[in-house]
Amino acid sequence: MPNALEDRLLSGAARAAARERFAATPSGRERPGRYWKVDLDALDLDLSTFSPDAGSVRIENPHPRAIVCELRAAAAEHGALLARAFGVTGAAETKFGALATAFAGLGAFVYVPADAACDEPIVITYSVPAGAAVFPSTIVLLERGARATVLERFEGGDGAFVCGTVEVVASERAHATLASLQTLAEDARILTTRTAKPHRDATVAFATADLGASLAAGEVKVSIEHPGARAEISTLFFPRGNQHVDIVSTVDHRVGQSTSDTVVKSAATDRGQARYLGNIRIAAHAQGSDASLRDDALLLSKNAHIDSVPALEIAANDVKAFHGATVGALDLDAIFYIESRGIPRGAAERMVTLAFFEPAIERFPTEGLREELRAALAAKLP
Amino acid sequence: MSDQGLRVTNLHAGVAGNEILKGIDLTIEPGKVHALMGPNGSGKSTLAFSLAGHPLYQVTQGSATLDGEELLGLSADKRARAGLFLSFQYPAAIPGVKVANFLHAARQAVRPGDLTPSKFRAMLFEKMDSLGMDPTFMGRYLNDGFSGGEKKRLEMLQLAVLAPKYAILDETDSGLDVDALKDVGESVAALRASAEGQQAGFLIITHYPRILQHITADVVHVMIDGRIVKTGGAELANLIEREGYDAIREESGAVA
Repeated sequence: MPNALEDRLLSGAARAAARERFAATPSGRERPGRYWKVDLDALDLDLSTFSPDAGSVRIENPHPRAIVCELRAAAAEHGALLARAFGVTGAAETKFGALATAFAGLGAFVYVPADAACDEPIVITYSVPAGAAVFPSTIVLLERGARATVLERFEGGDGAFVCGTVEVVASERAHATLASLQTLAEDARILTTRTAKPHRDATVAFATADLGASLAAGEVKVSIEHPGARAEISTLFFPRGNQHVDIVSTVDHRVGQSTSDTVVKSAATDRGQARYLGNIRIAAHAQGSDASLRDDALLLSKNAHIDSVPALEIAANDVKAFHGATVGALDLDAIFYIESRGIPRGAAERMVTLAFFEPAIERFPTEGLREELRAALAAKLP
Repeated sequence: MSDQGLRVTNLHAGVAGNEILKGIDLTIEPGKVHALMGPNGSGKSTLAFSLAGHPLYQVTQGSATLDGEELLGLSADKRARAGLFLSFQYPAAIPGVKVANFLHAARQAVRPGDLTPSKFRAMLFEKMDSLGMDPTFMGRYLNDGFSGGEKKRLEMLQLAVLAPKYAILDETDSGLDVDALKDVGESVAALRASAEGQQAGFLIITHYPRILQHITADVVHVMIDGRIVKTGGAELANLIEREGYDAIREESGAVA
């Protein structure tokens, strides 16, 4: 069944509808201004050249108890399982999620049966050919009590355009960790939409690092509709040169007795530009919700700019909601303290900058990946 | 050798164009403990920061040499590598930098490659043990969420690990209870007793004489209004204990 994806999940009409939704839906992002130069509602895109199967995916470290395969193979061989997660968490409702859905085909499916644990990360690497437009979908379905860690990587992509989705369905007591490391060429563009629905007592943790691409626009949204569910969102990005990064995270507490913890660490240097919007919504009846949002931005040059907006909408009265946001330069007292111990200024500045990211780095899986992140961040420093 | 010591000559320094130090002369010989006492605002911390190379403090005149090497004009890290150590009154908190990693980086900077990582670790745990520090300290972030006493202990641990030729302790006693004060005294004694630290010279900056019950000073200086107005032995600290700074202020004719 070479067209199982089309036959079972994504008919031509569904693709056409997604394409229309892309055209009709506003991005919801701020307009270009004094600092930010990219209009996300008027990207230079030629949809007539797009096709669902550009690019390639490599899957490493599949777990013996899990099903891990390419998206089209999953549609053919595990269609009923795939249908329980594909398109069910709302990724296609956003502008760029709709575009990714219209051209979906490349991708990977991870299924973990009840109570199985895949703690060693399953690694899904999207290789993006130069100049290509690719539309990767990573679909994760965990049964009750299952655990899985999935690491997505995006590599290559000189001048490429990537528009992808991640959808996660975590059944009762399941625990899903979705990490992403984006190190595309610095003239690539990437738009991602990540959505999840954790069931009762399930946890979904997203950890995303955007270090490459000229434009990286990401949306992460966890909709909590069952008590005991937990969302963790960790994001780090570091635009330099003319890189632009625009991230929106949303945790929607639609029922009470649920928790969320969002940590965002960003820095910008040169003429790097970034925007972050952190939405926390707690519905009127979602009593007993506990939400935390910590968002810190570090400006390393006078032409770098980061707009950081925490947006809390809290309609319930018996909740815990914390938010803290800072935008600032390097702490000169900290630099002097380190220098006074014999460490030269440049090394002291690197130490303080890397340390700044550490609370977000810590939330990525495996020490190997954390070391890779530290090295990739250090390589971006002057 | 005549150029041995931390020698400060006619040092004038200040912040943002305001002169705070108005000609300081001071020589700390190897192996000696000098106490620098004085009321708040007399310029004691300015002297410490000026010697350590804080960029906000400008030296306008004078010199400061460490065993013959001119410090002024060197960046702070080079002064530390020359053998100078400053124990901060208010050490900076640096979340994200682990104590163990920082101490290793600092030791490497000051004494490159003199200890293998395993020997460094062994030395570190021995020093921590002698300071009564819990090993979990090593995994904590530098001064982040530390109590006042914990911060001072970490300064003393760095003193032990870096084993400088000359150490300035800027009000290390402030805010400490008697037990912690005793620990500071023992840290200084331990360094002086070690092979690395036998020849170390100390400048103990303090507002209150009580620290000097735990560290015996060879020489006591009193600073008022940016000048050293009196120098004597340990008995000078006792005088200040009894009578405060007013008597010395009047005697020296300094403007109150």
